[in-house]
Amino acid sequence: MSTPLIILIVVAIILILMYNSLVAKKNQVDNIFATIDTQLKKRYDLIPNLVASVSKYMEHEKSILEDITKLRSQANKPNLSQKEKIELDSKVSNALGSIMIAVENYPDLKANENVMHLQHSLNEVEDQIAAARRAYNQAVTDYNNALEMIPTNFMANAMGYLPKDLFVIPENQRKNINVRELFNQ
Amino acid sequence: MKSISQLTDFYYKELYPTLQELENDRKKIKKRVIYVGIIYLLFVTLIGLAIYKQLSLDILFLFAVFILAGMKFIYSYFVDEYSVDFKNKIIAPLINEIDNNLDYSPHLHIPTAEFNRSKLFSDRPDRVSGNDYVHGKIDDIPILFSDFYAEKKHTNSRNKESWEKIFQGLFIISEFPKNFHAQTIVLPDSAQKFFGNLIGNWLQANNFSRDELVKMDNSEFEKEFVVYSTDQIEARYILTPRLMQKLLSYKKRVKHPLYISFIGGKIYMAIEYNNDMFEPAIFRSLLEYKIAMDYIQTLHLAIGVVEELKLNQKLWSKI
Repeated sequence: MSTPLIILIVVAIILILMYNSLVAKKNQVDNIFATIDTQLKKRYDLIPNLVASVSKYMEHEKSILEDITKLRSQANKPNLSQKEKIELDSKVSNALGSIMIAVENYPDLKANENVMHLQHSLNEVEDQIAAARRAYNQAVTDYNNALEMIPTNFMANAMGYLPKDLFVIPENQRKNINVRELFNQ
Repeated sequence: MKSISQLTDFYYKELYPTLQELENDRKKIKKRVIYVGIIYLLFVTLIGLAIYKQLSLDILFLFAVFILAGMKFIYSYFVDEYSVDFKNKIIAPLINEIDNNLDYSPHLHIPTAEFNRSKLFSDRPDRVSGNDYVHGKIDDIPILFSDFYAEKKHTNSRNKESWEKIFQGLFIISEFPKNFHAQTIVLPDSAQKFFGNLIGNWLQANNFSRDELVKMDNSEFEKEFVVYSTDQIEARYILTPRLMQKLLSYKKRVKHPLYISFIGGKIYMAIEYNNDMFEPAIFRSLLEYKIAMDYIQTLHLAIGVVEELKLNQKLWSKI
């Protein structure tokens, strides 16, 4: 075989490997996002139940309950982009967090078995979503790195790949609930 | 659970009469072992001197192996009874003091099937041994552990057998409080330490005997451990930021290589001491603080897993 031919084959193999690794990284991101999506749905399904069981008691927090119902109907719209879903998720997380804190103010609610069960289910889903978010962020970081690093950046450019957004891990999940804040509400 | 200092108190106060009794036995046995050992050595040296000129190197080597085996036989002949006494009178009460729901069997070890199920070591053992089997429940969470020694047989082209050590140390099994289906394995990170981040990471990602590499979002944890799993998300569902922190501090207390896996609702932990734990030392006093601390700390570490990793905080779905 002539030298130019060998060089050509080697270059072709390198290009194929680069192409495939980029596609694999993009698909990994999409796969994990699909899991997040199903878990978010699971959580959205719990919301009407929660609203129904707490609304009788919560007079002062009506506005949060309305907000979260609105957010849920927004999330149920078809054809949302990944970015929109990510934004909705963080808003819902915040609203749910404030409902959970508000529940603490109503001893009747806290003791209600239905609410307790809902709280535990929500915590469980929340744990799974948190794990999926971390997996998504890692996959996106790998993908974005490939988009910016030499030599895959040239290939990514040619393929028209764009960098993706990371999930913002909600602040209220990182810190513990401040007891004093609970009393000030 | 009792603290280490409470256990040290128990060791030196409650067990003191027994310790002294055993200490007297130990001194007698030590003398006997030394006397018989010297006589034995003199004897074999004489034989060796008489015949070494007629022997080839191969047979001389075999002779040396026999001498060592004889030494070991003499040692265990004298020490075995003492060792049983020591375990029944010192280790058993110590375990009972930590938690009286635990059963202790000095001669048994954890089931080999559990060792294989853990997938911590890719080689399957051909020969296993072990002792000091402890099992029972702590805060209603089942836990079992024991000393475990697993070996693999190699046969070379000349049909010579040799045994390779797969693992020696403490093997702990308990229940994990979350539901999961995937297999997640956490191993000591050697590649990243030796080759640095870039090459180390590449080597780990291309380890064909393991599942997918999972990069964790805790840099300290990433430095100590490497995680493989069949499910990227579930691995993170199990290894929450909090559990990673706890495993790191556990690792710091253990001070030996730590292997962990999460399979079939269970957590498996292997601590590689490369030593048989909970055995009496003949040439050192039982009253020595360091010796006592060794027994107490190791027991505390193994039994403390449930509390330390909060395995007793069950989720709603698992109750």
